Amino acid sequence: MRRVHFFIVAGLVAALAGYGAYRYAGQRGAPAIEQPLPADLQFTDLDGHAYRLDHWRGKLLLVNFWATWCTPCLHEIPQLVKLQKKFADRGLQIIGPAVDDPDSVRSMVRPLGIDYPVMTGTPDDMIGIMEKLGNGPGGLPFSILVSPDGKILERRLGEFTPAELESLLRKYLPQ
Amino acid sequence: MTRTPFVCAALLAAALPWAGAAEDFWHRGAQDAVGGRHLLKADQAFQLLGAQRQGDAVIVQWNIAPGYYLYRKRLRFDVVTPADGRLDAPALPRGEKIHDAFQGEAEIYRGHLKVALRWPPGEDAPQRLSVAYQGCAEVGVCYPPQTQLVDVVDLSR
Repeated sequence: MRRVHFFIVAGLVAALAGYGAYRYAGQRGAPAIEQPLPADLQFTDLDGHAYRLDHWRGKLLLVNFWATWCTPCLHEIPQLVKLQKKFADRGLQIIGPAVDDPDSVRSMVRPLGIDYPVMTGTPDDMIGIMEKLGNGPGGLPFSILVSPDGKILERRLGEFTPAELESLLRKYLPQ
Repeated sequence: MTRTPFVCAALLAAALPWAGAAEDFWHRGAQDAVGGRHLLKADQAFQLLGAQRQGDAVIVQWNIAPGYYLYRKRLRFDVVTPADGRLDAPALPRGEKIHDAFQGEAEIYRGHLKVALRWPPGEDAPQRLSVAYQGCAEVGVCYPPQTQLVDVVDLSR
């Protein structure tokens, strides 16, 4: 009987150890999603120029969907501005498609200090694009990280903390 | 017989890491959870219950899911039918006050929301309304402004 108890306890310890090891390994270097970008996604900037997402091939691309009516988005943007400056020479490019009308977006670009490309589109178009990129609920902020060869590495619905975002970018940027 | 508990524990040991892997796979593949919480779509989070005429008012109501809220200042009502129909300024109920560095003071609604709309005396009652609203989830995700056309059901006849 004592032997049976020993095996039960040993088995449970092994289970917990296995789960813990998996979690630890995941934190140290979880595999990326590595899903190709859907084709033909296009945005229009505030001057009316159209861009496909493959325009930024060769860069680590962070696409951050935002809006002027989205308070968590406005909280997050100053951190994006800071990291764009910090990591520009290591190949980071941030773009900010806004689910908003162009006039509202223009009025916020300067106060927020946004110096990376900002795009706009009708809510229906933008929601359709976000859905193709994996944002089922259609909420904001929503970000995807795209590898230099055009594969989606990460998705995030909701605001990044500054530490989370910097850590994520460091994980994929060249040293 | 005495090996059964050990076999069960061993199977558990083998399965747990894979359960974790499966959990990660789904979370990373389809992003609809924040902080471990599954997020609703806007029409599920802010369920517009329609518009009913009750006497000299049209009542518009929402059920707002727990963990979500609507902004008072983002509610908007317009008459679609009749084409020249108008509404008086809506008497919106007071909401819960919140303060935000970007939005300043704002009022929000949680739970059930009921708004009574009236129209100028002598004019035709609204039969179809455009109702616009916008809200957020408390976990830090906001939804685009929603606009719905609703037919007014006349309960006063």
